[in-house]
Amino acid sequence: MTPILELRNGTKEYRGVPAVKDVTFALHRGEVHALLGENGAGKSTLTKMIAGVVEPTAGEIWFDGDRAEFKTPAQALSRGIAMVYQETSLVPSLTVAQNIYLTDQKHFHRLRGIYIAGQQFLQSLNFHVDPTALVSGLGAGQKQMVEIARAVHHNAKVIIFDEPTATLTPEEKHQFFSLVERLKTRGVSIIFISHALEEALQISDRITVMRDGEHIVTDVTSAFDREKIVRAMVGRSLSAELYGSRKDRQARSSGDKVLSVQNLSMGNAVRNTSFSVFAGQITGVFGLIGSGRTEAAKVVAGILKRDLFHGGQVRLNGRPVRYRVPRPAVRDGIIYVTEDRKVEGFFETMSIAENIYLAAMAGGRSKSASVSVSEMNALAKEWIGALNVKAINGDARVIELSGGNQQKIVVAKALVQKPKLVIFDEPTRGVDVGAIAEIHQLINRLADDGIAVMVISSYLPEVLQLSDRILVCRQGRIVEEFEGGKADEETIMYAAVH
Amino acid sequence: MLTFGRLSQEQIVFGLAVLLCLGFAVALPGFMTTANILNLVRSVSILGILGVAMGLVVIGRGIDLSLVALMAVSVAWTLNLIASGTSLPQALAIGLAFSLFVGAANGWLVAYVEIPAIFATLAMATLVYGFGQYFLYDLNVVYLPDNARYLLWLGQGNLLGVPVPIVLFAAVCFGGYLFLRYSRSGRYLRAVGDNLAAARTTGVPTRPIIMLQYVLSALIGFVAGIVTAASVASMNTRIAMSTYVYDVILVVVLGGIGLSGGKGGIRNIVVGTLLIGVLLNGMTIMDIQYTIQNVIKGVILLAAIVIDTVVNPRDEQTAQHGDI
Repeated sequence: MTPILELRNGTKEYRGVPAVKDVTFALHRGEVHALLGENGAGKSTLTKMIAGVVEPTAGEIWFDGDRAEFKTPAQALSRGIAMVYQETSLVPSLTVAQNIYLTDQKHFHRLRGIYIAGQQFLQSLNFHVDPTALVSGLGAGQKQMVEIARAVHHNAKVIIFDEPTATLTPEEKHQFFSLVERLKTRGVSIIFISHALEEALQISDRITVMRDGEHIVTDVTSAFDREKIVRAMVGRSLSAELYGSRKDRQARSSGDKVLSVQNLSMGNAVRNTSFSVFAGQITGVFGLIGSGRTEAAKVVAGILKRDLFHGGQVRLNGRPVRYRVPRPAVRDGIIYVTEDRKVEGFFETMSIAENIYLAAMAGGRSKSASVSVSEMNALAKEWIGALNVKAINGDARVIELSGGNQQKIVVAKALVQKPKLVIFDEPTRGVDVGAIAEIHQLINRLADDGIAVMVISSYLPEVLQLSDRILVCRQGRIVEEFEGGKADEETIMYAAVH
Repeated sequence: MLTFGRLSQEQIVFGLAVLLCLGFAVALPGFMTTANILNLVRSVSILGILGVAMGLVVIGRGIDLSLVALMAVSVAWTLNLIASGTSLPQALAIGLAFSLFVGAANGWLVAYVEIPAIFATLAMATLVYGFGQYFLYDLNVVYLPDNARYLLWLGQGNLLGVPVPIVLFAAVCFGGYLFLRYSRSGRYLRAVGDNLAAARTTGVPTRPIIMLQYVLSALIGFVAGIVTAASVASMNTRIAMSTYVYDVILVVVLGGIGLSGGKGGIRNIVVGTLLIGVLLNGMTIMDIQYTIQNVIKGVILLAAIVIDTVVNPRDEQTAQHGDI
């Protein structure tokens, strides 16, 4: 039997840097094919090539026995390849039915007509969504149902799900899985990208693992178990090298209480949470995406504002503080290192030196009102050396560096402000393996120097390896606290999901 | 931006200006004379000064559509005050204070009320124009009073053989250059334009810096207004409702200061101004109709932007956020 969809020797380069290298990938009819890999492994790029979002630099796509070239997502969709994105692509101000029938050919619709059709169609899929409801009022799970309904409406033969379960509640996940089963019986082939290995093992027929843009292994699901997948994902048993050395080190004892948060609330994201951070040790915060950990950290750093009434209390060294903007927090020594460096980490039109110097000025470490170019260059040289940044000199622009080196610049920007409390949010996201070890060393060094360090991560081995104390965040609240050496992956995960 | 041998828009525009210069020099006999070149630069120096004002705002990811209206109204009021007997320094101080106040109001609306700059300044332009007509002066054209004739030197005089407007244009450019490159606030301004969220998180005082953009724009605009009044011995306030402000934006964008903020500097404004100057001067010598001149200006702007897009394509990776 020929596969319904095949990518042969597909390569995609961004500015000469390959995101996917010479990958061959086949999807059989009516199968659920899980695509696994770390961040940056090339899963999204691979599926974007298939769905016509990006064009392959080299390689061929074969669909239903024919050579196919998709220049736009609309072309791919018309052949029956639909992609359901992480961030939904629905129009929030339209109703469910309008969204489903949005790209139909007719120019004028009678709303009543599409509501009736939508009602019948949604019922046939067994989706309990009101076709007249506005999409903006739906929950994440229902939005996903509408996306799927739209894909099915377009007679999709192939549906690509990019991290479909990340934003779903457990019941919604359960619904989603039964939906996948139903789609399968309709003969739809499904590509399923996920970080959650258990889900992949549970619902897929075959599994493909990618690493660093390369195809590692494809096999039937029964041939895999969790460990085998993890080994394929990280390869060279690097995880042991990077994360396994924790056992032989003693947890640091806690110093002074630097930060004390009591009953902090912010909208629906942070709900009445309390925790403390101590000097001279690393406090790890583990939580799934959407658990409110980033929001809580941002409130502490003045980037977001807590609720006006019953917003709780934040104390820095025993002194109550309430920041309206980040500047006074920075001046007090609270530095937040962002999880999304491209959006709020660095200045892309500026050089390394300018980035670091700007942070030094904003942090109040350079008093004069005028810019000293020699001071700026000296600062750049010092930090490039200290953090082992791979750049020719300080004049290189940050945007041209690799992810790991960009992250080091963001870290340098924070450290040049001489912090008392550093909050690292996902410090190694999208960072190459070599740089991960260096950044971890650096974080350890900071704690050894007596600085209070908070590390937020959704990657359990990272939390386990770094932390002297582990806080677990769930649904906007810190729900549990573990001592560094005492917890293992399962107990922490258990606290985070239940 | 010099990236790996690619031509930046600034270089393309500069090349275009040089090419035009050569073309005019060959085709038009009177073009390449010292007198004409000085005349050429003099004729665009006010546009250039306004370009610096607009450029500072655009680098900070804003836009100031009230620039020309504010300039016209504040200078017209100043002239009116002189005519009614106020002493020159006092009248200048009042005009300048009014200008700075409105600039600060613009900045406050954009930074603190968080209204998009394009709406805030557009509304402010209309408000200022109406306010001026009703309260500050009676006629649309306010003439320079005879007791202040010595102000004319600013617009018509020479300093060491160079027309004063050119000297002032150079001085404003130099000041702007020093500000952007060597002052703390200048660096902050660029950071705010490049990435507001990052600047805020880094601890840059973003709101005061946005205020500063509009105050500086008002200040430089006032200088340009005084030079305008001195050049033609009057201030025609109808300029506030003309398309002049779009010419200023043309200079800025043509020179290669991206409307997305953070990019470019004073050099870009000088290059943009020169191209417009060469173009207008050449067309005037060739006696081309004013309406046709507008068409040509528009085509040149589109061409510069198209060439820039072709030569420096948008980076695919930054265009699509998310996991690779």
